[in-house]
Parts: sequence; structure tokens; C-alpha cells
Amino acid sequence: MTTLKKSPAAAALAEFNDFNLKMARGQRLLGSIKDEHVQIATADKEVVFREDKTTLYRYKSTAKHTLGVPVLVAYGQIGRYTMTDLQEDRSMLRNLLSLGVDVYAVDWGSPTRSDRWLTFEDYVDVYLNDCIEFICRAHEIPAVNLLGICEGGIFSLCYAALYPDRVKNLLLTITPIDFHQDQAEGRLNHGLLNLWTRGMSEEDIDLLIEANGNLPGELMSYVFAQMTPGATLSKYNVGLLDAFDDEKKLLNFLRMEKWLADRPHHPGEAAKQLLVNLYKNNELIRGEFELGGRKVDLANIRIPVLNVFAKDDHIIPPKTTQALRGAVGSKDYSEIGLDGGHIGVFVSGKSQGVLSKGIFDWLKKRDAR
Amino acid sequence: MTGQTDFTQPWMEAWAANMQPFMKTMFPAMPDALHAADAKSQAEEQFAALNATWKESIEKWAALAKEGARPDAFTPEALRELFTPAKWSGPGIDPFDAGLREVLEGPKYATLWNTDREMLQLQQRAAERDKQAMAYQAIVQKAWNTAFERFSKSFASNKGEAPATWRGLTDRWLAVANEVLIEAHRSDEFVEAQSRMLRAASDYRLQERKMAEAWCAASHIPTRTEMDEMQRVVTELRRELRLLRRQAASPTEPTAASRIAKQGTVRSPAPKPRAVAKKTRRATQA
Repeated sequence: MTTLKKSPAAAALAEFNDFNLKMARGQRLLGSIKDEHVQIATADKEVVFREDKTTLYRYKSTAKHTLGVPVLVAYGQIGRYTMTDLQEDRSMLRNLLSLGVDVYAVDWGSPTRSDRWLTFEDYVDVYLNDCIEFICRAHEIPAVNLLGICEGGIFSLCYAALYPDRVKNLLLTITPIDFHQDQAEGRLNHGLLNLWTRGMSEEDIDLLIEANGNLPGELMSYVFAQMTPGATLSKYNVGLLDAFDDEKKLLNFLRMEKWLADRPHHPGEAAKQLLVNLYKNNELIRGEFELGGRKVDLANIRIPVLNVFAKDDHIIPPKTTQALRGAVGSKDYSEIGLDGGHIGVFVSGKSQGVLSKGIFDWLKKRDAR
Repeated sequence: MTGQTDFTQPWMEAWAANMQPFMKTMFPAMPDALHAADAKSQAEEQFAALNATWKESIEKWAALAKEGARPDAFTPEALRELFTPAKWSGPGIDPFDAGLREVLEGPKYATLWNTDREMLQLQQRAAERDKQAMAYQAIVQKAWNTAFERFSKSFASNKGEAPATWRGLTDRWLAVANEVLIEAHRSDEFVEAQSRMLRAASDYRLQERKMAEAWCAASHIPTRTEMDEMQRVVTELRRELRLLRRQAASPTEPTAASRIAKQGTVRSPAPKPRAVAKKTRRATQA
């Protein structure tokens, strides 16, 4: 049977017809999905420690432990840790569990105005420290494997520099170190956050925090949307349409939306440290960043370090994180550059397994040392 | 000044004429025949004197208005400009803003009209916020126009074929719009406009808070500032409590929490002690 080539008018009509069918199917599908169908961070876990709004979870093992030292996952305050377990088949945490890793994760909670005075010192010296002390006591070990993500990577770096004896291996993912290397590769869509933050005066930032108490989560969502205008423009039309008549795709889309919508406020004083001391003044790589009167000296980190970055990360451009190589005192420094963007390395179908396997293999080699 | 005279003279005459019925209503002539001619004459005299005083008063006010008025204050052009809708938004808010500023910058009498003054400042902040938001939108709109131009030109160029499907067309539009908007978002013009807009929004929120706090104080309700201050004390006390607990648990070994708690009691978490490095220039950072 031969297929006749359609005239432009017939082709347009066929496309219009397909579009309408897809819309009709999609609307029917969307109508059948309820909020309870869109769950994220559902891996089995238990609360083992709480302090103020911070909660430490231990994940239920799904395989026999293959590493002697557990891994503590620390996310930042710009977004929530739930991204590491978005759904069953897109979950760094589940992948690590299936490889026999004993996994803990820290949840900083949802800061309110009452948390505006919390600083980096509170997160590093108190909450993160107390989680680590809890794990060390529970396992009778001197140090943990610490895996920091994004701003949680900065917390982890600071902790490892200030308390080197408490960290056996340091793993960082999509973590900024040199905040002024945002245009090192000359890619226009990279580092807009760095550029915009530098464009604000210290007084502007102080006023913003004073007026709002915290760095509002809604503001950060707006900023991130501005950084990828094409994706923002197409998300609820073309993007949604692509997933509209495929239940699995649609649920993936909605889970991601759920995570994006759950953006916490960043405690005000800690936000000033992030925006002024780090983004504007670049004090971390300069060795000038101080916590509680102590300089955070990255050269003090002599433990093994694995730095994982996304090759197309427009929020943390590769060069801003790769600067760590020359800053740490460790002779055992490794990097893994993954295809994908800032969040894509954790949640895309392609990166599943690659990230966790890379982390596991690296840890396995250093577990017995 | 001739122009002003020409403009105000008919206005004065019209106003005086309009006032006549009002004057007559308020001070009607006595029609009763029982009253003597003297009485009638006295009433007319009184009315004439009152009328003269009124005219004199109007003339003095008109003279004052002439002295204080700007040369272009009442020209038809100025009035037309004032009522042009375009002037009510964006930079056109200036006449309103200038008026507010004149009121705000006038002499201040201790607490007299203080609430009104604060309210005017709130209006000024709102006007400034809207102005900066409009300026920001104008830059974004310019980028959209550029995107559309570039998108249109992409069909005229010989590079590649025109998309044959709706989806192909949409993808091309999104790619062009993304490229142009990112270019715009990197521009100094955009970065400055965004900063100004955020600052204006913060200024407005803070002035709003000031007004709300005045009302709270009058109504015996704790203010935002007081709550913030209280929370700050609670945060510092928590740090001290941790220090004491840890010292009690392990008197000889200083722990991480004890260090921060100790720091917390000494180092104020107020904005000033942090960020010591000067603002670096954007040009040298990239």
C-alpha cells in the first residue's frame, strides 16, 4: 500500500486533528489524576534524630550493606532534599540503597520568619554537626561519608574544613566554590544568578532580607524561571502537551512540578552570607570566608574528595565547581562530569544509575582505608 | 505673565458671577413692605459692602495664585499632558511623584500630620515601585520585540527551510525567544532595572510595615520589629543553652555546638559584622 504525500493544507489539517485528539485524551487523563497520585520522596525511611526544624532520616536498606561507613546526604536551603528521591525510578537515594549503601539524609525543614536569624554557623556547627555526631555514636565510628548537594555542598565543605576528623570521605555534587568563574566558558545562559547577585548592592540585599525576613522561596522560583526563559515559556504548553497523553510522562512532569513548588524560604542571615560573602565577595575560594570567627580553609581538607558536576549546569557552571581541585589540600581528588543540567543529573532517566554507580565505586575503593 | 492674566481673568469673572446666586440666597433682600425705606437702604448697603469685600478677597487670592504659579502651570498643553493616559504609568508618574515630594519635603511640625506624612511616603514608595516595575517591563518588552523581529527574519534568510508544522514553528519561536531573552537578561540595563525594582519593592514593604506598626502600637498589638527582635533573642538564647548543656555533659571537651554557641553570645548576627570585602566590579569578575 503506497502512502500519498499530503498537500500542505491536508498536512496542517491532520496536525490540527492530532493536536485536538491529544488535548482531549490529556484532559481526560489529567482529570483522573488526584494529588495523592503525585507523591515524591516515598522511599521507606525513619526519623532517627530531630533538632529544632532539622530532621535526620535513615533509609531502610533494600540490599545487604556493602560499605562499612554510612553516607549522610545534605541538601541546601534553595530547594528541598526530596529531589534526591523524586520517584521510584528516578532516585539517587534508592539507587544507593540498592547498591548496599547505608543512607541518611538531613531535612532542614521549612524555615519561617522565626528562623531569620539562623546563620551558616547554625547549619554547619550545630545542625549538620549534631546529625554527624548522632550517626557516629549510633555506628560507633569516628567519621561519616558526607555527600553535599548544591548549597548543602558548601555546608559540607565548611564542615570538612573545620572538623576534618569527622568526615571520612567528602562527596560534593553541583556545588559552587569559585562564584566568579560563571563566564569562564563564555556560555551566555550560564551563571545568570551570579551576575544578578553581583548587580545588587549589599544594601539592596540587606533591605530585601529586612523587608521579607527571609529570602522568599517564591522569589527564588521566579529567579530560576527567568534563567531559562525558553523552558519557562514552553513548560505549560509544549512541555505539558508532550506529556499529555502518556500517564507515566505526565506523572513525572507533575512530580517535578510538585518539587519545584515546594521551595522553602532561605533563613535571612544565612541568605546574606550566601549572597554577599559567597556570591558577591567570593570569600570561599579566597580563603576569607569565616564561620564563628574561624576561617574556612579549604586546604585543611586532606581527606579523599569526589566532585560531581553537570556539564550543562546553568546554575552552577562547571568551572565554578571545578575550581575546588586547586583549593583543597587533598591529594586524592576526583571529578565526575555528567551529561545534563543542574537537576537533570539527579532526576533524568539517562543519569539514573550513572550517578549512584559513580559514587558507589569511588566510595568502595576508599571504604577499607 | 500676560498669558496668565488672560487665562485667569475670565476664570475670576466666571467665579464671581457664579457666586451671585449663592450670595443672594444667603443674604436675600427684604421684600416685606412693612419695612421702612431706611431699612431697605441699610440692607442694600450691607449687601453692597459684603459684595465689595468678596470681590476684593477674590482679587487678592487671584494675585497670590499668579505669584505662586509656574509660568506653564495652567497652559492647555500642561493640562493635556496631565490627563494623557500614558503619563499615568511608568515615567509618567513623575508629576504625581513630584507633587508628593513637595508635600513630604515641606516643613515638619513635630508630630503634627505625622501619620499623613507617613501615608504620603507610602504612596510615594508605591509610585516608585510601580515606576521601577514598568521600567523593568519596558526592557523585557523590548527584548520580546527583538525576539519577534529575529524570528520573522529567520524566515527571510536562506538558512534552513521554514518549519512545515505547527510544532516546528513553535520550536523555532521558543529557540529564538530563549536566545534573545537570555541576551537581554545579561545586559547591564536589565541587571540594573531588576535591582532597582527589587529595591523599590523592599522600600515599599518597609514603609508599609512602618504604617502597620504604628497601628499595632496604638492597638496594643506586638509589632513585626518587636517579634523579630524577640526571635533574635530566642535564637541567641538557644545557642547559649546548647553551650551550657554541652559544657555540663562534657566540661573539658569543647564541641562544635559549644563553639558556635559561644560565638553566638559574642558575635551579633546583625547584618554589619559579616561581608567585609568591598563590592567587586562586574567587569573584572567574568
